[in-house]
Amino acid sequence: MLFGKRKNKASSLPKTEPQETAEGVVAETAAEELSYDGGITVKEANLHYGDFHALKNISIEIPEHRITAFIGPSGCGKSTFLKCFNRMNDLVAGCKVEGEFTIGNVNIYGNIDVNELRKNVGMVFQKPNPFPMSVYDNIVYGPRTFGIKKRAALDEIVERSLKQAAMWDELKDRLNKSALGLSGGQQQRLCIARALAVDPKIILMDEPTSALDPISTGKIEDLCMELKNDVTVVIVTHNMQQAARISDKTAFFLLGDLIEYGETDQIFDRPKDKKTEEYITGRFG
Amino acid sequence: MNRVKAKEYASKALFAAAAIVCIVAVVAIFVFIVIRSIPALSKIGFFNFVFGDVWNPDRYDEYVTDPLAGRYGILTMIVGSIFSTVGALIIGGILGFFTAVFLARFCGPRVKRVFGAVINLLAGIPSVIYGFFGMAVIIPLFANISPTGDGAGLLVTSLVLGIMILPTVVALTKNGLEAVPQELYEGARALGATHEQAVFKTVVPAAKSSIVAALILGVGRAIGETMAVIMIAGNSPEIPGGLFGSFRTMTANIVLEMGYAGEVQMGALLATGVILLVFIAIINLLFGLVISGGKKNKGGKKLSLGVTMPKWLNFSAIGKVVSWVCAVFVAVFLVLIIGYIVIRGLPHITGDLLFKNYHYGGEPALLPAIVSTLLLIVVSIVIAVPLGIATAIFLNEYTKKGSKFVRIIRSSIDVLSGIPSIVYGLFGMLTFVVWFGGSSSILAGGFTISIMLLPTVIRSTEESLKAVPDSFREGSFALGAGKVRTIFKIVLPSALPGILSAVILAIGRVVSETAPLMYTMGSVLQPMPDGFLGSGATLAVALYALAGEYKYMDEAYATACVLMVLVLILNFFAGFIGKRLGKKFQGENNAVRKTKKQSKQSSED
Ligand SMILES: Nc1ncnc2c1ncn2[C@@H]1O[C@H](COP(=O)(O)OP(=O)(O)OP(=O)(O)O)[C@@H](O)[C@H]1O
Ligand SMILES: [Mg+2]
Repeated sequence: MLFGKRKNKASSLPKTEPQETAEGVVAETAAEELSYDGGITVKEANLHYGDFHALKNISIEIPEHRITAFIGPSGCGKSTFLKCFNRMNDLVAGCKVEGEFTIGNVNIYGNIDVNELRKNVGMVFQKPNPFPMSVYDNIVYGPRTFGIKKRAALDEIVERSLKQAAMWDELKDRLNKSALGLSGGQQQRLCIARALAVDPKIILMDEPTSALDPISTGKIEDLCMELKNDVTVVIVTHNMQQAARISDKTAFFLLGDLIEYGETDQIFDRPKDKKTEEYITGRFG
Repeated sequence: MNRVKAKEYASKALFAAAAIVCIVAVVAIFVFIVIRSIPALSKIGFFNFVFGDVWNPDRYDEYVTDPLAGRYGILTMIVGSIFSTVGALIIGGILGFFTAVFLARFCGPRVKRVFGAVINLLAGIPSVIYGFFGMAVIIPLFANISPTGDGAGLLVTSLVLGIMILPTVVALTKNGLEAVPQELYEGARALGATHEQAVFKTVVPAAKSSIVAALILGVGRAIGETMAVIMIAGNSPEIPGGLFGSFRTMTANIVLEMGYAGEVQMGALLATGVILLVFIAIINLLFGLVISGGKKNKGGKKLSLGVTMPKWLNFSAIGKVVSWVCAVFVAVFLVLIIGYIVIRGLPHITGDLLFKNYHYGGEPALLPAIVSTLLLIVVSIVIAVPLGIATAIFLNEYTKKGSKFVRIIRSSIDVLSGIPSIVYGLFGMLTFVVWFGGSSSILAGGFTISIMLLPTVIRSTEESLKAVPDSFREGSFALGAGKVRTIFKIVLPSALPGILSAVILAIGRVVSETAPLMYTMGSVLQPMPDGFLGSGATLAVALYALAGEYKYMDEAYATACVLMVLVLILNFFAGFIGKRLGKKFQGENNAVRKTKKQSKQSSED
């Protein structure tokens, strides 16, 4: 009884157990094979932090194998929206999500295994957060979580993910060194490799380069362009040039509203909305 | 996948169960002590007990027809406890206050660091060593100025207790002084006040509530102290007649007689424990009031307790001088106590003393005591560390601050840490000793002291869990790991240095404690213990036993030296390992702060 009670009023980040189910959503029929292959479809999403209405009625379709950028001024809800896709918001006290979120054919707020969702939807944070262990152990953390124990299989995964993240040559001789000894840029790319190790369909990146130097930033941008052959990338950025450079589609948020969403070229060259134009030109000019 | 889920729930239940042990312990202690004291109290009469001034128990009350041949009034001991505590407060309070002012405002960072370490050493010295030092060194000195020619009594007890509460007073006062906003100080300087004036007229009054809280906490320590007191107070159950008057405290009463108490007498000793707990409860209540009052009027401008700075403090320059003098006195005292014991003890640490078995009636030998101490460490660490870590995990990783359940757990931990060690001894004697076959054993001592250790282990483990950046946890969750995996693979390994240092500190406590072990594990020098169910004296208890026999003073000094060096080494290592944790995550501090700010925001919304 003690536990049941507390479950509803989840506590501050990240001190509650991940909630396994969201209430009020119809359960998926067991017959259909769940697959996270495909884009992200969101219909009429609303999100509240307590009384604060952080996301207002947002609908969006994010295509697969493309890079989609979220831009907008600070506090407009980009990170909040991004975290809906892997349900990291479950860990936040008093956060309530409404609306329909579908990835592939999975209703991600339905009766699903959150850990399985997070396996398929990886995330890279603003500040690199390698675990205080070796490079190798960082990368195999995810695969081990999902039961892969054989050394040979793990070795293979490490090599594949590091190659995918274009840092195999850099790190192959330092696999057993602590990840905390890497430079900031290397740490961030290691975190990307770590996310890739479990074969995700989607990778969410929340301002992945804002704490990095220009050269590291360039490497990560190149990496994103490479990655979209294998995964869908959703990236939050404050850097207009970055969004324009690498993304295929761009969404502009303002105070919890999705103001405009379209092809990146169109958003930057011919914005339809006045506010988008002001924001973009304000930043460029 | 259901197996994973089941594992999550089972683990959470286990962690919660560990936390519940704290609640159970508090309830059990109160129930056992209070309930078992009721028959005796009802025979003696509550009024006669508390206000009777004759304590003359009949040891044979089981055999005589009139069960109340003896008299059981503890008024003299209540007065004794109050007097010695007030004495300790005067000495330790004044010394502690000025030393804290010195450390916070009158010295450079290097002096401050070294001095802080010195104060920590002071906190680590076992109370039986303070008692021994008082008995062997201070009492003979005082005998020269005592009208009766006996140096024991109120003055020496107040002095030793004062030194013992000093670390508590200094630490809290210093924190309070350092928390005063710098603008206040600068404002005073801008108005033309000197540094000393700004400190004593502006900073000190602003920190009033923390200073009062520090003193109250010191009072709590002084009133609960047992071993040091019985070695220097004289122990006759009377109201102390002057500074050199012999007297007995409530704690001393319990430990002196519980070894051979008859039925009614035992009840009366338990009732003494109850009265002691009432005092502790009042002290904790006052502490809570002062703390919350201090928070309300931010810095405690208006304090209802009516504590005002003595007039002469207005001479701020004198205050500065006094601060220096007190700090020097404290340092000298520490050097003196450590140096003297080492110099007197070292030459007598011989192979025979350390490595020979003891047989009754033979020369003192410490090998059995060393073995008993090691066995006790094993038992108590095996029990207290997993329980403590599990509780800390439950509190820090699973729960929300405000929930009622958590509040109950937290207050249980607070209560546990406030209960005097001798009350644990009583409790262990009533429960564990009985359960493990009716006589003292290492197992019984280990269980008793484990409960005592819980608050320390829980608190320091929680500290180190808090120091693990949330970004690690987020990273793990985002990779699809569950709660349990995140805790065991990411959080605990990162917190390991802090937890290790908590374990070492706990070992230090086990080595230092005496009072709770006397009647749960063994109180006299003994031959080799018979395994975990055998009885045995630890090194600290052995020191007490040896000190009681004037014939073996040299051996006592040697034992004190071994004990002290051991504890100091343990404390040093604990500090050393603990520091490594901080270094490891230096780069992560910002992340921690940021998440804290965010979660604060969210709780305000
Ligand atoms: N845990 C929380 N509890 C309450 N409110 C929150 C929480 N997290 C974010 N918010 C609020 O929700 C709004 C959107 O926050 P979010 O972090 O999504 O913005 P953002 O667009 O990512 O901003 P930035 O560019 O600064 O990262 C902000 O007003 C913020 O204050
Ligand atoms: Mg953000």
